[in-house]
Amino acid sequence: MESSNYKDYSQEDLFLVPEPKRSNDQHNSSDLFGKKKKDKSKKQIEAEEREKMRVLVSNFTEEQLDRYEMFRRSVFPKAAIKRIVQTITGNSVSQNVVIAMSGIAKVFIGEIVEEALDIMEAQEDSGPLHPKHLREAVRRLRKTGAIPSSKGRKLPFYI
Amino acid sequence: MATEDTFDQFDEEEQQVESQSFTKAGRKRLFSKELRCMMYGFGDDENPYTESVDILEDLVIEFITEMTHNAMEIGRSGRVQVEDIVFLVRKDAKKYARVKELLMMNEELKKARKAFDEGKFAGNEVPNNSNTSITK
Repeated sequence: MESSNYKDYSQEDLFLVPEPKRSNDQHNSSDLFGKKKKDKSKKQIEAEEREKMRVLVSNFTEEQLDRYEMFRRSVFPKAAIKRIVQTITGNSVSQNVVIAMSGIAKVFIGEIVEEALDIMEAQEDSGPLHPKHLREAVRRLRKTGAIPSSKGRKLPFYI
Repeated sequence: MATEDTFDQFDEEEQQVESQSFTKAGRKRLFSKELRCMMYGFGDDENPYTESVDILEDLVIEFITEMTHNAMEIGRSGRVQVEDIVFLVRKDAKKYARVKELLMMNEELKKARKAFDEGKFAGNEVPNNSNTSITK
């Protein structure tokens, strides 16, 4: 028996719409469509996020506003960062490198402080962060790889 | 002399100034003010402990040093380039997203500034009798 392109409809529900043969093309054309749809909703998502932030910030207490302003505005001085990096490399670095480095450093500090705050809360402590909280935070974050360390070379065959 | 807590040494000299602690390398504190603001922004008390600030400063300098050394090894050896930094943080979602965002914003700002500067000379000639002229 020669192979047939048609399904054996006797076995299936006859009211089902049969699958069109051009399944590949359909994928492509819906891709165009699908991609357009995705772009729209991506912008929509961004706009919605911005609106949500606006609503949130508008409801901040004065203390929260104060803290949020510090969160947004605090930066490492570009000159100092540039100096550190250039001292290590021995030659000059571009402005973009300084921008990237200060940005990542801020995220780095944020991760440690937030982790330390969680630890302090778990210990039912309060007030300013203590060095012990920070040290514990660093210990935990080293495991997740958020903190680079050249000292810990994991021995792959260590049992 | 490696001294971390130097309160005794500086008691006489710096009574009016907050006593400074030095890092192990003898360097003065670089980021004390900025770090305090940052810690408050991220959720710490308005007045963080000085020891905490010092620990974070040491950590941040170590971080930058590590990153710089790693960046010097990859890509163009001996130089630190943005692509190297992006490569190094590729696994860390937060840092990667932040770097991309900052670089993109910087590009947009540069474009905006350029467009603004070109707009100034495009249609509006600065008149000679304006009070912006310096030659008087």
